[in-house]
Amino acid sequence: MTSTRSATIFALALLAPALIYILTIVAYPLVDTIILSFTNASLKAGYDFVGWANYQRIFGVGNFTEVILRTFIWTFFSVTTKMIIGMAGAVLLNAAIPGQAVFRILTMPPWIVPMAIGIYMWSWMYNGQFGMISGLLQNFGIVDGPVAWLAYGHTAFWATIVTDVWIGVPMVTIYFLAAMQSIPKDLYEAAWTDGAGRFYRFRRITVPLMVPAIITMSLLSLIATFNSFDIIWILTQGGPSGSTTTMIIDTYKTAIGSRKYGEGAARAVVICIFVSLFCLAYFRAVRKLQQGEAK
Amino acid sequence: MSQLSLKRLEKSFNEARIIKGIDLEVADGEFVVFVGPSGCGKSTLLRMIAGLEDVTAGDIEIAGRVVNDLPPVQRGIAMVFQSYALYPHMSVYENIAFPLRVEKLPQDEVDKRVGAAAKVLQLESRLQHRPGQLSGGQRQRVAIGRAIVRQPKIFLFDEPLSNLDAALRSEMRIELMELHKRLGSTMIYVTHDQIEAMTMADKIVVLNAGEISQVGSPLELYHKPDNLFVAGFIGSPKMNFINGKVRSADGSKVTIDLGALGTLVLPRTSTSVAGQDVTVGIRPEHMQLGNGEFTLEITPNIVEHLGIHTIAYSTLPGGEPFIGLFEGDPSIEDGKALNMGFSVAHTHLFDARGLAVY
Repeated sequence: MTSTRSATIFALALLAPALIYILTIVAYPLVDTIILSFTNASLKAGYDFVGWANYQRIFGVGNFTEVILRTFIWTFFSVTTKMIIGMAGAVLLNAAIPGQAVFRILTMPPWIVPMAIGIYMWSWMYNGQFGMISGLLQNFGIVDGPVAWLAYGHTAFWATIVTDVWIGVPMVTIYFLAAMQSIPKDLYEAAWTDGAGRFYRFRRITVPLMVPAIITMSLLSLIATFNSFDIIWILTQGGPSGSTTTMIIDTYKTAIGSRKYGEGAARAVVICIFVSLFCLAYFRAVRKLQQGEAK
Repeated sequence: MSQLSLKRLEKSFNEARIIKGIDLEVADGEFVVFVGPSGCGKSTLLRMIAGLEDVTAGDIEIAGRVVNDLPPVQRGIAMVFQSYALYPHMSVYENIAFPLRVEKLPQDEVDKRVGAAAKVLQLESRLQHRPGQLSGGQRQRVAIGRAIVRQPKIFLFDEPLSNLDAALRSEMRIELMELHKRLGSTMIYVTHDQIEAMTMADKIVVLNAGEISQVGSPLELYHKPDNLFVAGFIGSPKMNFINGKVRSADGSKVTIDLGALGTLVLPRTSTSVAGQDVTVGIRPEHMQLGNGEFTLEITPNIVEHLGIHTIAYSTLPGGEPFIGLFEGDPSIEDGKALNMGFSVAHTHLFDARGLAVY
């Protein structure tokens, strides 16, 4: 009896540092945010509980529903493009071509360059007067005059996606490349011996065997992209006219910009619920894939 | 006409010459085994025949046609890989049907061929399972099934049994031999296991460092090895070698000085070995307890009692290891000297270059 109890105490003692860390860094701010979301907290000292008012406001009169929809569209296009380019890149980097190592290194800069620097570089590239993109398009006669890509709602929306893709693709590529290389070479040789061409082998061997990697990467990328803040903030700060305002930007503007902590917290809670659902999907997928492997 | 012929075949990887000019003829329906130690080039040679490795020089002819530049599928071969190379996400049925799907054969034909292969390989009840749910032996059968459905002219096997345990290996060996009998196809089989080579082959090709050391039937290689390498490679435990010097060779017999062991006289017609350093070979199983035509006094340092056989390991005065294998369970103890002898008819003689002397 005593030994069981001392074992429990010992186990708790071992867990204590991690528990204290999680309680301080994760649990306390989370609980505090949830509490704040039911108040009218602002810069003024003290606050009152306002019930569901903040939630009613963001789903009612405001444009938050639109922001949610925009966030999903932004995330969908960004993640899908990253997956497609990442897969294509992995296929190319996996091909036995001369200078393969050099190409592999060349995929890394977007990932290695400090994110803010990379994003500022893009903001200059999007610039109408001095930007490379506008300049090149004018040189080729595709556009008549300078195009400031970040100055118009519809172009800014896609421009932020392009930058997000640029930053996100290397990780997806390297992850897919690793998954691709873990497929035994024998399988391809057997298929080649049986007359299967390149595309047939890709379709019937590579893709099915990469499904676990594709699912895992898509969900991880979904979670990261959904919460992507720095890219949009540095490029457009959510503008022009809110055209690139995603949930995370809107939350920041409300809570930090307008000092409406209560309303901001309500937005943060909504984001937290969405991300939790994505995480749940991710863990379920991982468990299912592991069960599949064990069979 | 032979089914497969290799003509001055060579393969280099950058500067390294792996296959150094191989000539070989394989007849229709023959079971040929490529055997040799690791790194001798046997798998590379098989992969060249399959079309998985380019040919550096020479020609590969299948059914009279040079196939050097043809992709594997046009060569009329099917290959079974060491790892089985089964597609883990497909059922046994789809694994076997894979080559037929590539060919876009109609479903009836696919059903017919897969069904026939499954029947031959006793896989009928397993067709809907995934490879991960099968035992090693069953996986191997699926891999063979995938080869059978293509109805190839030549089957290529790359160490197909090396991942199986000993019991299953001997079972699969018999299955493969039965399969060869039933299909009557040409089979080329790579292994480093001489038991597999000896039991399965019509013809063994012994490879050493990218060259053919000898080609022949299993018993030819056993009884008349052309050189020291083959003599040492074929047979288990391996042949004993004793170093000596030819004192005289008169055209009917050769007299060899074996140092502390004495003088051995062998009937040989060759006179060119006179004065040469030579190697005398005698298989452990040809030793007999007590005196023979030539007798050695041996003190075993290790004795293995296997029931059916007893194996005595010792070292000769010249430092060469020496093994005697005796039937049954005679009373031999380690550390206790005994006489063992052999008949000169069982003796092999190799000249200074390692070539057999007759």
